[in-house]
Amino acid sequence: MNPYLELQQTLTRRHFFQRCQIGLAGAALSGLAGPGLLEAEEDSVSNPLAPKPPHLAAKAKAVIYLHMAGSPSTLDLFDYKPELKKFDGQDCPQDLLEGKRFAFIKGVPKLLGSPFEFKQHGQAGTWMSEILPHLATVADDIAVVRSMKTDHFNHAPAQLFMHTGNSRLGYGSIGSWVTYGLGTENQDLPGFVVLASGGRIPSAGKSVWGSGFLPSVYQGVQCRTQGDPVLYLSDPTGISRSMRRRTLDGLRDMNELQEKKFGDPETLARISQYELAYRMQISVPEVMDISKEPDATHTLYGTEPGKVSFANNCLLARRLIESGVRYVQLFHWGWDHHGSLLREDIRYELPKRAKEVDRPMSALVKDLKQRGLLDETLIVWGGEFGRTPMRENRGGKYGDYIGRDHHPHAFSMWMAGGGIKPGLNYGATDEIGYYAVENPVHVHDLQATILHQLGLDAERLTYLFQGLDQRLIGPAEGPKVVEGLIA
Amino acid sequence: MVAAFTREAPPAPESEGVGESEAAETGTEAEEQAEPPLTYEEAVVQLLNSPRYGERWADMWLDLARYADSKGYEQDGLRTMWPYRDWVIRALNANMPYDRFTVLQLAGDLQPVPTKEQLIATGFHRNTMTNTEAGTDDEEFRDLAVKDRVATTGQVWMGLTFGCAQCHNHKYDPIPQKEFYQLYAFFNQTEDHDQFDDRPTLDLGEDVTALIMRDLVGDERRATNIHERGSFLSKGAEVQPAVLTAFHAAPKAAPPNRLGLAKWIVDKGNPLTARVMVNRLWAKLFGVGLVETEEDFGAQGTPPTHPELLDWLATEFMRLDWDIKAILQTMVTSATYRQASEVTAELADRDPQNRLLARGPRVRLEAGMVRDQALAISGLLSEKMYGPPVMPWQPDGIWQMVNDTLTRWETSAGEDRYRRGLYTLWRRSAPYPSMIAYDAPSREVCTVRRIRTNTPLQALASLNDPVFMEAAQHLALRTLEEAGPATAERARHALQTTLIRPPSDEEVERIVSLHAEAKAELANDSRRARQLLNYDDTLYEEGRLTTLVEDSRGAGAQWRYTTKEPPGNWAHADLDDSEWRTGSGTFGYIEDQKGSNKDIEVVSDWDTEGIWMRIEFDVPPEGLMDYKFEMRYQCAFDAFVNGVPAAHPPQQYDTHTEFPLYTDAVAAIKPGKNVVAVYASRNREKNRGQHIDVGLKALRQPYLGRPTEHDADRAAWVVAANVLLNLDETLTKR
Repeated sequence: MNPYLELQQTLTRRHFFQRCQIGLAGAALSGLAGPGLLEAEEDSVSNPLAPKPPHLAAKAKAVIYLHMAGSPSTLDLFDYKPELKKFDGQDCPQDLLEGKRFAFIKGVPKLLGSPFEFKQHGQAGTWMSEILPHLATVADDIAVVRSMKTDHFNHAPAQLFMHTGNSRLGYGSIGSWVTYGLGTENQDLPGFVVLASGGRIPSAGKSVWGSGFLPSVYQGVQCRTQGDPVLYLSDPTGISRSMRRRTLDGLRDMNELQEKKFGDPETLARISQYELAYRMQISVPEVMDISKEPDATHTLYGTEPGKVSFANNCLLARRLIESGVRYVQLFHWGWDHHGSLLREDIRYELPKRAKEVDRPMSALVKDLKQRGLLDETLIVWGGEFGRTPMRENRGGKYGDYIGRDHHPHAFSMWMAGGGIKPGLNYGATDEIGYYAVENPVHVHDLQATILHQLGLDAERLTYLFQGLDQRLIGPAEGPKVVEGLIA
Repeated sequence: MVAAFTREAPPAPESEGVGESEAAETGTEAEEQAEPPLTYEEAVVQLLNSPRYGERWADMWLDLARYADSKGYEQDGLRTMWPYRDWVIRALNANMPYDRFTVLQLAGDLQPVPTKEQLIATGFHRNTMTNTEAGTDDEEFRDLAVKDRVATTGQVWMGLTFGCAQCHNHKYDPIPQKEFYQLYAFFNQTEDHDQFDDRPTLDLGEDVTALIMRDLVGDERRATNIHERGSFLSKGAEVQPAVLTAFHAAPKAAPPNRLGLAKWIVDKGNPLTARVMVNRLWAKLFGVGLVETEEDFGAQGTPPTHPELLDWLATEFMRLDWDIKAILQTMVTSATYRQASEVTAELADRDPQNRLLARGPRVRLEAGMVRDQALAISGLLSEKMYGPPVMPWQPDGIWQMVNDTLTRWETSAGEDRYRRGLYTLWRRSAPYPSMIAYDAPSREVCTVRRIRTNTPLQALASLNDPVFMEAAQHLALRTLEEAGPATAERARHALQTTLIRPPSDEEVERIVSLHAEAKAELANDSRRARQLLNYDDTLYEEGRLTTLVEDSRGAGAQWRYTTKEPPGNWAHADLDDSEWRTGSGTFGYIEDQKGSNKDIEVVSDWDTEGIWMRIEFDVPPEGLMDYKFEMRYQCAFDAFVNGVPAAHPPQQYDTHTEFPLYTDAVAAIKPGKNVVAVYASRNREKNRGQHIDVGLKALRQPYLGRPTEHDADRAAWVVAANVLLNLDETLTKR
């Protein structure tokens, strides 16, 4: 199978040419009656984003992935380590340092116990620190994975690895794998939407929602909560809505004349894309407008319409999923608490960031649950790696502030919904949280599990590129679905 | 062989032929045809000798070279690569033979006495990304750059996918892992090492330094080992530089370095180099290569549809001493290329992709060409060549989220706004958005074949991007100026200008009726009509910029300030602050006048915990828009306008940085007197210095002119032009 050829053929073959003429009638009608059956028919033939059946029975239809860019210290959020507290301030044992590379730690650093109090929550007895009071209230709805590990300890490569399965640039992101594998349900919205907050995008740039060697139609579309939600979505200055309709009618008539002359099916494909653009101009601002949500919802999430915030993005994620978007990727920047500056001090800054996300992400779980959407929506939360149980000593010495260095060997993430066991604590680290020792979950395993819940088999999800039927998850052996996480 | 092409379709009429091959060869359609009309052959020669030729084909080559103006990865800071881009354009225009073009890019520095130009050519492999993220292992990223150079060399010149051989023997092609590292050894001796300073560089004067290649000498030279499973930390057996054993041997005189490798690549015994290049040129002209997988001539690629033709073209290319223009001329003057591109129902059914070449090519324009074409049709396109990259208008906020907040997109002035796409500044993490919509690659890695998609985001870009509207405005103005007064004459002229062919009566009628509909609507909407006719002033800020509160870079406005907390609503517009002290920025004190503080000159001392500052500004009766603070500060602060919160930025900036005012604050601004109030406070230990400097600017409303009775008629041509620039035929090479 050559999917590139297949894609081209769906866009060009005679087969489509015939269908599209029906579709055009539909497009002309849609101005009156909205998208209808005729278009669904057209889309299934012409549109690379048309819904496709999964490889396996799917538990989840959609994913909301909450990425905490910069990587929070999960030793201060989830991974309760009384032993680490006991040895706080003592030298890190030599055997944990030998042969290891760190981003900033030099020589022998001291162990660092968490400055925060931990308690168990819910029936599951899930340990969480005091700075996640809202998440504690949904402890029985989520599964905390306490034994994550990755291969990379610098931000950009680790973020790429988390989202593309590869630490180098040029590979598609998991959102693009999913829209490639499953298409999307609402053709008037992008299938893969990205929302960023916290002031910056991830270190690895837009490649973390790119499509790599997959066609660009599968890449994430960044929606913004200020300005045009999608670039060039608004009619330009001087063009009214009615004028836009007139121009599209004129454009369609002219293109049809040209199609008669050249007989090129690409022309018809272009006409239908212009009609879709017109529908997106209405549907995207509608779904992105949270101002009409009831007060109770705003209170639940802590949303303020018009602002750029993680809370607004969580509510938007729910609205997007509800409207049939397949994959929503949130990035919240600002978790890189090294402790070399006041604004990186884990004691003051981690609680601030935690406060920004705690209420909204818990609200998202509650809201999806009460709407009956949690079963079919998979939520994933986490950073790109962990942070050291040792206190960072930048330049080999300690200053006034406290923080932790990058750490690939152990960290926690949480998942909810989409067929993941609720109220679960999966895996464990050693006594000081240095290594994932019980049921370690590698990044590729996490990715394979996300795909599995969506009904996709990581081994079979391939694309012909550079002469190879390449597995999108990467060529490494053995990504395993984590059966223990599945309900 | 050429004569043996199938010829089912009749040749295209002459008037179409000139337009079509011009679009294919130089990237835009002809604006005016010379008098007297040229024959097709003469037109081809003229186009091949046009400076546009080098620009059009450089655009293709720069995808292969993964050319960009930024370093990639986290910071993605800018660097000077454009001398290399200019070298490519010049080399192509001078028709440098492809073998020499190859040798200079791979090993210009290893020429006996390398010239400046030859050194600049080696920028090809300095286009790899560098990671300046703090704490990264330079060796890790140097290794990635070297692997990229090996893989890119294989892809670009031989259509081979070396990449997967870095971890294991290639599964399908005869490239054992060991041989990958033997190739790696050729590239493993260069001085560059993923450092911030970009060395080695070549000084070109006037603050321009080009990144170049240079080999290490003596003890500094590196040993090369196989990397087990591709990891640079797991070193296996040592290897020496050597070419692939499955192919011809290296030429006798070839030295065991990059120069030797380059000579092996362009040796006439190399079965792939010429085939890969002629296939690539063919693909650009016909939309699909004779080997569809341009990037893979290996066992997993698609077999050629016309193997004998491919062989003949490759042989011919070498017989012509690698003359690129000559081989292109052969292709575009062929009967196959000159066939009309109409598709009969039967042909569409039997050969939808036109792989049998029974009709002329019809290919969608891509990325840069879409915009270049709109600018060319409207008469805006600048012919200026070479030099530093330019920043045409783009929407706000494209760079806002990139992690280096100090580098800003400043819209270029004058004709630099209308340069060809290949001169647009290319930042890998946030490339020019309308080109990305039209499938331009980010240029992080080598892209052999752009995959064309057909998405609504493309429609939104070319319909709504103000840059395309500006082009529509100018196409309308041009039509009004050049065509006779009758609506039908104007419609015919605008269509002819856009499509480079005489339009049919039906087409003219539809544009006439669209114009009438638009005119009727605009007759009742004078404001919109005038907006459509004054796009430039809406789009460009220069000339509309109004400084309301000047910061320390100018004269420095006089603020009222106090360091004792004032009672009550101190930020309110009506507060009497006449007892407060008077002074201008920068406020603060500098503990250590070096580094980022070096150029900060304190005018008004402030060394207490907090400072309260107020200043008035005037707004004209018609109001202003796009209010922005410009601030440089090391402290925490809140800013207010007329008592309403206006800004509370999150972090420190040691250069002046723009912050748009909050929407509520903008709403509180009224014509006449308004007040900015700022409370700044120390946010770190005493004695480490603190400072703040605040300016406020805005834009006056765009000039829309006085209403006239012709506005609706004229503006309706802008609407019609918006449609003309979006026609499928306009956006297609045919």
